[in-house]
Amino acid sequence: MDLVSFARGIGFEVALVVFCAGVVWRIVGFALLRFRRDFNEPRNSLVKAMIGGMVATGSRSWPHPEFIGRTGAGEVIGYSYHVGLFIVILLFAPHIVFLGSLLGVTWPALPSSVITIVSVITFTLLLAVLFRRITHRVLRLLSNFDDYFSWLITTLVIATGLMATAHIGGPYQTILGLHILSFDALLIWFPFGKLMHAFYIFPSRAVNGTLLSRKGAAS
Amino acid sequence: MVRIQAVKGLTAIPIRVEPRDSAATTGTIGGGVTAILIEIAAQLDRLADDGEPGAIDLRSLPMSSDDREQLLDALGPGEVTITLQGDGESTICETGVHGVWWSEFRDRGGALIAAFVEIARVPTILPVEPDELRRGAQSLRTGVGGAAPPRGS
Amino acid sequence: MADDRSEPTIGEILQTHGVSRRTFIKYCTAMASVLALPPLAGRAMAEQLLAAPRPSVIYLSFQECTGCLESLTRSFSPTIESLIFDIISLDYDDTLMAAAGAQAEAARDKAMKDNYGKYIVIVDGSVPTSDGGIYSCAAGRSAVDILSEAAKGAAAIVCVGTCSSFGGIPFADPNPTGAQPVSALITDKPIINVSGCPPIPEVIAGTLLQYVSTGTVPELDEHRRPKVFFGNTIHDRCYRRSFYDEGKFAKSFDDEGARNGWCLFELGCKGPTTYNACATIKWNGGTSFPIESGHGCLGCSEPGFWDKGSFYSPLSAPRWGKAGEASPRQVLEVAGAAVVAGAALGVASAGLSRRRQRQKEKLNADDETEEG
Repeated sequence: MDLVSFARGIGFEVALVVFCAGVVWRIVGFALLRFRRDFNEPRNSLVKAMIGGMVATGSRSWPHPEFIGRTGAGEVIGYSYHVGLFIVILLFAPHIVFLGSLLGVTWPALPSSVITIVSVITFTLLLAVLFRRITHRVLRLLSNFDDYFSWLITTLVIATGLMATAHIGGPYQTILGLHILSFDALLIWFPFGKLMHAFYIFPSRAVNGTLLSRKGAAS
Repeated sequence: MVRIQAVKGLTAIPIRVEPRDSAATTGTIGGGVTAILIEIAAQLDRLADDGEPGAIDLRSLPMSSDDREQLLDALGPGEVTITLQGDGESTICETGVHGVWWSEFRDRGGALIAAFVEIARVPTILPVEPDELRRGAQSLRTGVGGAAPPRGS
Repeated sequence: MADDRSEPTIGEILQTHGVSRRTFIKYCTAMASVLALPPLAGRAMAEQLLAAPRPSVIYLSFQECTGCLESLTRSFSPTIESLIFDIISLDYDDTLMAAAGAQAEAARDKAMKDNYGKYIVIVDGSVPTSDGGIYSCAAGRSAVDILSEAAKGAAAIVCVGTCSSFGGIPFADPNPTGAQPVSALITDKPIINVSGCPPIPEVIAGTLLQYVSTGTVPELDEHRRPKVFFGNTIHDRCYRRSFYDEGKFAKSFDDEGARNGWCLFELGCKGPTTYNACATIKWNGGTSFPIESGHGCLGCSEPGFWDKGSFYSPLSAPRWGKAGEASPRQVLEVAGAAVVAGAALGVASAGLSRRRQRQKEKLNADDETEEG
């Protein structure tokens, strides 16, 4: 069995199973955790607190003015490559065909030349992000295997994708196989590392916002 | 093959034909055509220096039919047209540049199987090999009925 | 004047068949263009061939449909493909030769003996190996047997078609006859794979011509296919490539996109992973090729192309198991099962975590009552 057939076939099947099971395991696992007993007097009703939680989910998307100086650059780069990743994943024709065969629906694609430009920019930003993480004193101190490995797996997928479309780095079949295989690896790693932030950010902001709002604190 | 007809018509008139100035009549020559013309010039020099013929395969280059027309116009019409009959009719025309021949080979069905520009004193497909000459002599003698004369060594 | 050599040269044979030197040069010039050689190299090839003795060729047909031989012999207009039989001495071909039975076998044995070490073996069809190789027998001998005997004295083996190159159709799952490609059975002779189902006639003739005129095996890729014909994918040379790049795809046969000649990627075209010359040399004397006629490439020159999923499922679609594609329903079932399993794990994990949380709380409460 050649690389592409393996990656597309049993490799993807296993990856999808691990991804679905793992993500649900972690979401259910944390959703059923107990809250700490809150001895504060509630300053806001539960409903008002939950509205506060919803607000926090949005307001935490951008740092408070005091912190922009220190974190602004990182935020912009971060958002940019996320947007880039979404564009490439969701609006590139072969990806739409792939997702369409899984979900049963398709949607219009962007021209491949646009996708190539976006991919190159996204890849460059990912390199910039790693550079920042390595050179920034504090970030370097805080970073662990999870940070670097999650970065590596994500960058591998986009790098092999670019190599495949440009037909560089080896025979097309091999590079395509590596691209699909690296995507399988991403799916398998997803539930076990910081990539879970994709599912965690909104619930965690909502919960924090609700708790703080219940106490009457700003968030 | 408008080109052949023009040559036939023009050679009937006792005048010398000047190669057309393509840039003046049709505007600028495309970059691809210019490159080929420069290559042809280089091969002509090589032919003059060491007698080595050259050829440029027109079908292997990314040329549109317009490009081919431009190239033909740039070279201009020549004095000689050769028709090859042999499993289909093929043509070799000298262009306005002496030593540059425009060849189109066709098969029995008339389909174009080769198109190239040859740089040679005489198209290399034309000259007859010694063994063919001897075979011809042999067949003539046999046909005439005389005995074959003794051959030297 | 008679030659001193006992066997006539190719030039002499052509002469007797009424093909002049100039006509032969004409066709060799055309073939040089196909082989991506300069026109005067075609001339050189012609001169080499004209002076050379005709090589003996043994054509062996095993588990095949004869499509490859038909491809070569049913060329539209008489070109080099028809002349190939003047250039080679086809000493054995059970489909084309007039002789039959013991006389035919004797002719083959004599040709192999007289030209030992110099003859070319052309094979089409795969070689079954199960149950002692009984699934392809001629004159009471298995294909394995005939092939190994012929290979012993061969200068080179040219596998024409995907069946002899990679196993092809008989090799497809579940391969009940144990079909094998020639390269799996013969390991000590140079092998050239001219794959395709069938291969383009110009590709077969061009490869043979190149081998006969140079006496050496041309540059081959990792599947032993001549790079000059199999160096690029169909996708690389497809005239519909601009539509792929622009994201314009036909969604179904005969829809608006299909009628506008848009890319057939979503209709299962295997062009991006298929190496062949269909997009440049095309079929039937340059008339058309599958994509130009509106159907996606099947990938017929690639190993295992029968077992690579549906011809109508796009390359980017996932494939479950050996031959199926994931329908949305199947995906839902598998993912759904995974979700249920994950939820169960989640509940179990949460149960453990909650117990630990309660223990911690109790500990904290005990601490406080101690302090307070």
